[in-house]
Amino acid sequence: MHREIRDHIEDVLRGGDTPKDAREHLAHCDECQTEVRSMQEQTALIRELRAPADFAEDLHPGFYARVMERIEAEGPISIWNLFIESPFGRRIAVASLALALLIGVYVVTSERAMEDSTIALESQQSVTEQIFVAGEDAPAREITRVDQSQSDESSQDAVLANLVTYREQ
Amino acid sequence: MDASITTLPFPVAGEGTRARTRVDHKTSEEAALVRRVQARDEMAFREVVERYQSKVFSIIFGILRNRNDAEDIAQQVFAKVYFSIKNFDFRSSLLTWIYKITVNECYDYLRKKRVRKLVYESDFSQEDAQRMEASEPAIDGAVPADTRLAQRDLILKLLSKVSEEERSLILLKEVEGHSVEELAGMTGLNENTIKVKLFRTRQKLLRAAGRLTRTR
Repeated sequence: MHREIRDHIEDVLRGGDTPKDAREHLAHCDECQTEVRSMQEQTALIRELRAPADFAEDLHPGFYARVMERIEAEGPISIWNLFIESPFGRRIAVASLALALLIGVYVVTSERAMEDSTIALESQQSVTEQIFVAGEDAPAREITRVDQSQSDESSQDAVLANLVTYREQ
Repeated sequence: MDASITTLPFPVAGEGTRARTRVDHKTSEEAALVRRVQARDEMAFREVVERYQSKVFSIIFGILRNRNDAEDIAQQVFAKVYFSIKNFDFRSSLLTWIYKITVNECYDYLRKKRVRKLVYESDFSQEDAQRMEASEPAIDGAVPADTRLAQRDLILKLLSKVSEEERSLILLKEVEGHSVEELAGMTGLNENTIKVKLFRTRQKLLRAAGRLTRTR
């Protein structure tokens, strides 16, 4: 569209007064004529979105009360509403909860494993201390008996390994 | 047709023609009302609802032609007004702001319902059909109702291709019948800016129509 028409397009579409040079240009320019015609058709289509003039007359007793009910029901918009109300937000919330659960399980189980290894280490240390208390001259069998009576099963292997080392030394 | 449309801009604001209408939306009677609503004065909010409800209903019905959902959407519009009015910055008139919210809610509704046809048959009553036929200005007196529905469907699709601001502006111009001067006053923008925006919107709509025609 040429500038002569472009500058006055709202007036042209409205059918209002346009400057003489714009009218003359439009009378001779096929390109501008075609485009103006398209815009006129488009404008007519947009005007189809007008409501009927009498539409609003039969409105809606109690509307304000219903609006207030809705406002009270919805409450103030918070960041949590985004998660609760939208399906995508709900998915994120569920995924986050699942991830938190997994992390929790991992932390608990790894703490238990650490506790077990600590107990094993402690019992191993107590056996070693007893060996030292019993003295280097004590027979190996006696030391082994002390070990069996005082240490739990999980620490047996570690204790035996220590004994072997002790005897070799 | 589409290929012939250039994207040359209008003269920028201040160049050539004058910029006249400037309305101070901060000092009007309406601004005082808005401030009371912002302070959570329920009587003031009631006044806003009563002042604008018929306008909101007619915007919704004009776009959707669906009486069944118009009330629900109108309630949603005023709930949004209530919750968002703290962000109202007085750059435009309250009506312009509410108009934009209303049009956005209509498009939200269309998106949610995945409506690509303008009107569900079940929603379109005989009364609606008669009302529409009787009261709307026709492009051509002989255009049948189903053709007009298809045309409305088309224009709604095309309007979904432009920005919210452009959509509101062209609807305020063509559906509500405001002049460029009035739009400048309502939006707080310069008249030339309004003209530029309208022209670009019209161009975008023509291009969108061209694309739609080619894909059909």
